[in-house]
Amino acid sequence: MLQNLEDLKSEFASALAEVKDRSSLVNLKADFLGKKGKLNDILKSLKDATPDVKKTLGMKSNQLKESILGEIDKKMTALELSEINEKLKKNWQDITFRSSIRDQGLTAAGYHPVSIIQREIEDIFTSMGFEILDGPYVEDDYHNFEALNIPETHPARDMQDTFWFKDMKHLLRTHTSCIQARGMETRTPPFKFIGPGKVFRCEATDASHEAAFHQLEGMMVGKDISVANLIYFMKTLLSEIFRKDVNVRLRPGFFPFVEPGFELDIECLICGGKGCSVCKQSGWVELLPCGMVHPNVLKHGNIDPDEYNGFAFGLGLDRLVMMRYGIDDIRHLHSGNLSFVSQFKSY
Amino acid sequence: MYISIDWIKDFVELPDMEPNKLAERFTMATCEVEDVLTTGELLDRVRIVEITEIEDHPDSDHLHLVKFTDGKEEKQVVCGAPNVEVGKKVPFAPLGTTFPGGFTLVPKKIRGVMSEGMLCSETELEIGTDDSGLKIFETGAPLGQSVGEYVGQKKDILLDIDNKSITHRPDLWGHYGMAREFAAVFGNPLKNPFDSAWEEKIRSWMSDEKAPVSITVDPDSANLGFTGLSMDNITIKPSPQWMQDRLNACGMRPINNIVDISNYVMLELGIPNHIFDRDTIRGGQIIVRRAGEDKEFTTLDEVKRDLLPSDTMVCDAEGPSGIAGIMGGLDSAVADTTSRIFLEAANWRDAEVRRTATRLGLRTDALQRYEKSLDSQLLERTLLRLAELVKESCPEAVIKGQVVKANMPAYTPLVIDVKASRICQVLGKAIDTPEIVRILEALDYSVALEGDQMSVTVPSYRSTKDIECDADIIEEIGRVIGYDNITPAAPLNEVNAVRLSEAKVMSRKILDFMVNRAGALEVMTYPMVGDKLLDQAFWPVKNETLILANAMSPESDRMRPSLIPSLLQAAALNQKTYSSFRFFELGRSFQEDEKDFCHERYQLGVVYFDKKKSPFLEAANGMEELMNSLNIPFRMVPGTNDKNTLYPEGWEGLHPYESMDVQIMGRSRGYIGTVHPLVCRNFKIKGQLVMAVLDISDFQNQRMKDKTKYQPLDRFPSSIFDCTVVADAHTPVEDVVAVLKKGMKMKELDWVKVVDVFTMSETQKSVTLRSSFKDAEKTLSGEFIRQAEDKVIAVLEKGGFPLKV
Repeated sequence: MLQNLEDLKSEFASALAEVKDRSSLVNLKADFLGKKGKLNDILKSLKDATPDVKKTLGMKSNQLKESILGEIDKKMTALELSEINEKLKKNWQDITFRSSIRDQGLTAAGYHPVSIIQREIEDIFTSMGFEILDGPYVEDDYHNFEALNIPETHPARDMQDTFWFKDMKHLLRTHTSCIQARGMETRTPPFKFIGPGKVFRCEATDASHEAAFHQLEGMMVGKDISVANLIYFMKTLLSEIFRKDVNVRLRPGFFPFVEPGFELDIECLICGGKGCSVCKQSGWVELLPCGMVHPNVLKHGNIDPDEYNGFAFGLGLDRLVMMRYGIDDIRHLHSGNLSFVSQFKSY
Repeated sequence: MYISIDWIKDFVELPDMEPNKLAERFTMATCEVEDVLTTGELLDRVRIVEITEIEDHPDSDHLHLVKFTDGKEEKQVVCGAPNVEVGKKVPFAPLGTTFPGGFTLVPKKIRGVMSEGMLCSETELEIGTDDSGLKIFETGAPLGQSVGEYVGQKKDILLDIDNKSITHRPDLWGHYGMAREFAAVFGNPLKNPFDSAWEEKIRSWMSDEKAPVSITVDPDSANLGFTGLSMDNITIKPSPQWMQDRLNACGMRPINNIVDISNYVMLELGIPNHIFDRDTIRGGQIIVRRAGEDKEFTTLDEVKRDLLPSDTMVCDAEGPSGIAGIMGGLDSAVADTTSRIFLEAANWRDAEVRRTATRLGLRTDALQRYEKSLDSQLLERTLLRLAELVKESCPEAVIKGQVVKANMPAYTPLVIDVKASRICQVLGKAIDTPEIVRILEALDYSVALEGDQMSVTVPSYRSTKDIECDADIIEEIGRVIGYDNITPAAPLNEVNAVRLSEAKVMSRKILDFMVNRAGALEVMTYPMVGDKLLDQAFWPVKNETLILANAMSPESDRMRPSLIPSLLQAAALNQKTYSSFRFFELGRSFQEDEKDFCHERYQLGVVYFDKKKSPFLEAANGMEELMNSLNIPFRMVPGTNDKNTLYPEGWEGLHPYESMDVQIMGRSRGYIGTVHPLVCRNFKIKGQLVMAVLDISDFQNQRMKDKTKYQPLDRFPSSIFDCTVVADAHTPVEDVVAVLKKGMKMKELDWVKVVDVFTMSETQKSVTLRSSFKDAEKTLSGEFIRQAEDKVIAVLEKGGFPLKV
């Protein structure tokens, strides 16, 4: 009898191997496990056996039944899977035909490089508690010059630097410092803000000069602000921008709206201060003008210079953009040329 | 400007320091030293040699092969000079020598023969003016000696100062003023050779006779004081070598003793001056006045200059002899025969002489100094120094009479009160009061100290413009102490929350939307445009009052009335390269305004381009989504062509059928439209171009309120009903939907949308509509649904859209 069960087991194994579809599998199941199936046939013949034999064989046949059921289930799943996969094959699509290899014109999208750097710097300053202000491009003499302590006879007011309108009263702002003048008018100390934006200079254009370019002005006014504070903020800012500790130095520089006024140099990032062609062997690169706000400028902003003082600085945004991306010609920035801006795409 | 260290040492001792270190310290404290140069390197390399043999060059009729010796070895060069002669001693520059102008000798063959260097002329070595042939030394000249040693040339170190860094410091435009800075920075005393004893000495040379020249000054001219002195028995000759060396070092060509003295004193004391041949001063009178009737004048450089009546001129009894503060005249200049001279030291109003000079394009050394606001108190010292040097050069010279003066301004010293503690507080560094006083006194201030309070008297030559208030005094201390010595420190400030302004939030949101959702590239274009571009875009608004007086070119001579022409130009450029693209600019356009002159409009301009397929719907969908994202109530309506800020009334660039306006609070604030083919043709654009403009000026400062309100989720299923109707081919589907929505008047109708549109023929299309019904309270009954469906069909039928059968 045991032998019969063993034979049945191997018979099932070879029959199962032959099964190619789900209906034959159902038939196979009935053939072996059905009421009139082969396993039952064997069990029927057990009727007259001794209880001991019955017990042993009963257990064995149940094991066999379980194992057959398991095999069938497994086979069923496998058959179903291959049927579905067969259908999927029919629905094949070319998954390599993606946009990246298709010519669909220009599909790139992204920010202008000046916007990228501007936002980065704006975020650094807002994280340090600075507001972001804005102002008009078309300015008046007062906000561009007088309020900033630039006297009427100053060479900066000459036609060769400033775009004047025909009324000779209005002009295109020559620096973002006008945002300082306007910012002070509507604020009471203490305050700190930055003012990014386009500025205009009437000068011949070449790879490093443009008639329209970008600056970012910053101002902090409060009680007992010091040169030490200015250096601290500039060092923090520049370390954030360049994402490493930078060394800065201040040397005297003259700008009518600050006193003392400074040129801020950073230690050359290319050579680390040892001297190279970028820094003209000096180890330092001139980066931004800054200084303590001139008392006359505070007075124009209705701020008492005996009570408050502050610092201000100006940053050339285009210069940073060109440094970051290695851009060799500033004129690309306003060209509207997509071959240029698409290089800075987000995706 | 070049500063000679040798000259500086006349006035102050310098520490024993590498020239580069010295320059760096000076840069940190005073002004920018761009370069450090050494003079005399050329003449050090060039040696005296004797010609030993001359052969004709085999391939040339004028070149020679010249052999020579320096006493040790023999060399050969190819030389074309006409005065080569065996036995003559000449200067030889070996390979590697760099000449003024940057030319360096490298090994090369001249017509096939190797040349080991160059024999030089006087001009090539800048030791004379003879360029007719080789410099021939006297026979006793020692062979092999360097030419520098032989001619006794003094070696010097020059600091190349960035002129821009001393525009505010009139006192630094001469060596004496610079020396004062070195004295303060390095803590060494400044020698003052121009003290009262010195003054007495020179005054003792003057006589009581009447001065031969009188001075009259129009006080309304640009003059700020005029002094003069006459001298006789002058002999014109070359200056001594030391003076020539210093002038050469500072980039001035030596001419003769008198002209050189004039230049020397300017470089030394920083005050320009003029020396006349007194015999040319007609009537013995100097008259300073406005040009008035005089229309033209020939300057020293032999150029005839046009004058304006307002230009200030230095004249004699009969007419102009110099343009005040800028350049003297050809006729009054010192000549080889001059024996009587008149020394002039005068001062002029900075802005006035600069204006004249700018107009004439004449930025002379004198003008560069006058425009910085010079000090009239220094005129007499300048005059005395001139007289001293003339006397030194011509011991037989005599001064005629006394110094004559006119229009000398009154002078009250400027006194600034400042607390020592304030200086320390602003710099953020503790500095001992005695150190503060030392620095100020080294810079020639006088200080009266009372506890913390200081009364600082400013030297006259610093108070013409530069030093005005306590902040200026703080700078003096800070720069000499060295900003490097200040430790960075965070300010002690109260903490405030800051928020981006509403306008900033909106502009960032728009930028992010356009990049990440609309898939466009951001560009920037010039806010200035030209008439031609506006014409090309059929733009009738020309912003005539916003035209620049000094535009760079007619292509950018005015503020743009709209972004559209600029973006059309950019589209035209890019369609040459790409078959489709999307780009945008968040920029400004400018509206003329009678009262405020100009209104700046903040506008988003968007361009969608495709060579073949119209991108109109993509652009319109983009705009609709953008408006939704901005949380501003709006309506999209067919283009009205009404008055708005987006495009001018009747603009021909508008497409007759493909344009829509975005209305916000009843006004058109946005526009999407296909650009009319006529305009595209003007720009040579071949393809489908759609533009959109959104003017955010009027609402960018409003807070974008988040009006989202939660609704409980549906508890009962909704029921969908689709039906297909027939419509006229040109009926907008929006009309079909509107007819249904309007006719149903049923609260259970949740929404109606179009599933599909199919073109049946040239005149007819079919539209498949989907309606959704729901009831928040219960499941809709089969009966209700059937009735609702019948009503949909009836309403559409009645509205002229029969069911498609």
